[in-house]
Amino acid sequence: MSTRTTPAVGRSQLRFRDRIWTGLGGLGSRPARTLLTALGIAIGIASMVAVVGISASSKADILAELDELGTNLLQVRPGSSFIGESSKLPPDANVMLGAIPTVESTSGIAEVNADVNRSIHDETPNGVKALTTDGSLDDALQLETASGRFIDENTQDLPVVVLGAVAAERLAIDSIEGGPTVAIAGRVFQVIGIMKSHPLHPDLDRSVFLGHNYAQTELGIDANHTAIYLRVQPTLLEATRPLLARTANPVDPNEVEVSRPSDALEAQAKVDQNLQNLLLALGGVALLVGGVGIANIMVIAVIERRSEIGLRRALGATRGHIRSQFVIEAAALSTLGGTLGVALGVTATWVYANNQGWTVAVPSEALAAGVAVALVIGALAGLYPAAKAARLDPADAVRPTG
Amino acid sequence: MTYPAIELRGVVRSYPGEPPIQALAGVDITIDSGEIVAIVGPSGSGKSTLLNVMGTLDRATEGSVLIDGIDTRSLSERQLCGLRATKLGFVFQSFHLLESSRIIDNVANGLIYQGIDHRERNRRALQALDHVGLGDRANTKPPKLSGGQRQRVAIARAIVSEPSLILADEPTGNLDTRTSDDVLALLADLNERIGATIAIITHDSEVAARAPRCIHVRDGLIYQPTAQGSAIS
Ligand SMILES: Nc1ncnc2c1ncn2[C@@H]1O[C@H](COP(=O)(O)OP(=O)(O)O)[C@@H](O)[C@H]1O
Ligand SMILES: [Mg+2]
Repeated sequence: MSTRTTPAVGRSQLRFRDRIWTGLGGLGSRPARTLLTALGIAIGIASMVAVVGISASSKADILAELDELGTNLLQVRPGSSFIGESSKLPPDANVMLGAIPTVESTSGIAEVNADVNRSIHDETPNGVKALTTDGSLDDALQLETASGRFIDENTQDLPVVVLGAVAAERLAIDSIEGGPTVAIAGRVFQVIGIMKSHPLHPDLDRSVFLGHNYAQTELGIDANHTAIYLRVQPTLLEATRPLLARTANPVDPNEVEVSRPSDALEAQAKVDQNLQNLLLALGGVALLVGGVGIANIMVIAVIERRSEIGLRRALGATRGHIRSQFVIEAAALSTLGGTLGVALGVTATWVYANNQGWTVAVPSEALAAGVAVALVIGALAGLYPAAKAARLDPADAVRPTG
Repeated sequence: MTYPAIELRGVVRSYPGEPPIQALAGVDITIDSGEIVAIVGPSGSGKSTLLNVMGTLDRATEGSVLIDGIDTRSLSERQLCGLRATKLGFVFQSFHLLESSRIIDNVANGLIYQGIDHRERNRRALQALDHVGLGDRANTKPPKLSGGQRQRVAIARAIVSEPSLILADEPTGNLDTRTSDDVLALLADLNERIGATIAIITHDSEVAARAPRCIHVRDGLIYQPTAQGSAIS
């Protein structure tokens, strides 16, 4: 070897693990500041997770109700006439409706204008009303008995009643054992069943049911129903719906009101969606503010740690090493906030949902997204301060500051 | 063949201004491997600028700087970083320790930008701490140390990578006389024991007087004081 070769220069390199650790090091040195800055992000993430969690829990609740109610249930009621008088359904309306091929079952109820009491001498007002039923109302509305059984073909024509849950409470009857009786319009009825409570039908909870035929023949009420419930073949529901008014009342179809109880719940779920979007947007603003807070604190950190940056450059750090150190620090700071926020958000959801009696349903994507969003925001917020740190002139940075 | 630890040839460093400030006005210095040299001069004479240029933290406006035979002008920014990581050690007046990191981690940081793994770094850091007499304080943090001890930690960090050249800028500037003596004795000892090449920059002529070789700087130039030493008043 006669030519003089330049000796090889060692490379500046930082292991991945050390890259992460140098990034995290800055956080541990100022725990109070770290926590306060992370709190900004935590609040943003917490509010977003809580919004998603609470609305998911409430939606899960509504969907469970919807499921219970069924989307193929239609309700037919008398509307009001052209001149505003309340009208009636024709007496054979439920028979006519039942004749439509796509209608799976019908059942009607009618109000009886009489008080329900424990005995014929008792006249204390209790708000309990009597309803007649035919067909199988329990099937149509998925009603369940707590004890005994519901009115059926065999008991339609007998002086027997079934009590709604609230009605039973008000009449102080908690079991059908011992053959309890109630009095309606001066007649005595045997209680053969007590219903469970049905939050979807609070008015039915306050009612006492008796057979339609019996009420018609023995109590002399109108044959007209005040409401008819239909179960329709789900796939043909939209086709069936327009036929109902004309079938129920061919003479005055305009005096019939057809509704789908599940629509109200779906509308409720939609309102929730709008509110959720609004609240999410607010959470987004909080996050943005949190991100600016991080950028701000990182700019301060870069100024304060000028001599550390100078030292690291003297120890062989490249600009890239310095840049990644501060980006990682910002991202870690924010991720800490994000994790804290997710925990807070889940707690808030849990407390709120439990208060409302809902089951807690926080989508797991929301948790992962909360942490991921925080990480990205932190990294973005760190870009500018990190670039500033990397641009520092090493000779300047190692000079003692005056 | 072996190269001098560092060679400066006609180094000029001027800062832009009206007129431009020439902090270094054409400096030639050669320091051989294994030497210990004092670079002395009054405040504002260009010593720190000289140290930064020697340490590649700053680039010369003119002239060349060769470290261990490598011409730094030919190196990219990235390669300069590698050069600092492997061939240079720094000791600063204000120590530059990371206050929340343990002593051993502060010292091990002298190896971190060489991509050396954690265990090996710690092993070598402990050795370096032993060399400066602080082997038993490895797990303490800087706030618990005296000024002299802090500078010992900084010296351990500078020697841990076994660099070709250790540059110390006013290493005793923040210390009292007694501690200064200890630190200077330590540097002389390290030069002798492990053969470290050391350039100590100082404005203190007493410090300079104790070094086997002394380079005088004034107004950005090297000069030879008269035999009587009358140049320094
Ligand atoms: N970044 C800079 N910009 C302009 N002038 C500078 C800069 N750094 C140092 N100088 C000037 O260069 C000269 C030498 O400074 P310095 O190297 O710090 O001297 P010393 O370390 O011997 O006190 C001084 O006149 C100082 O004002
Ligand atoms: Mg100086």
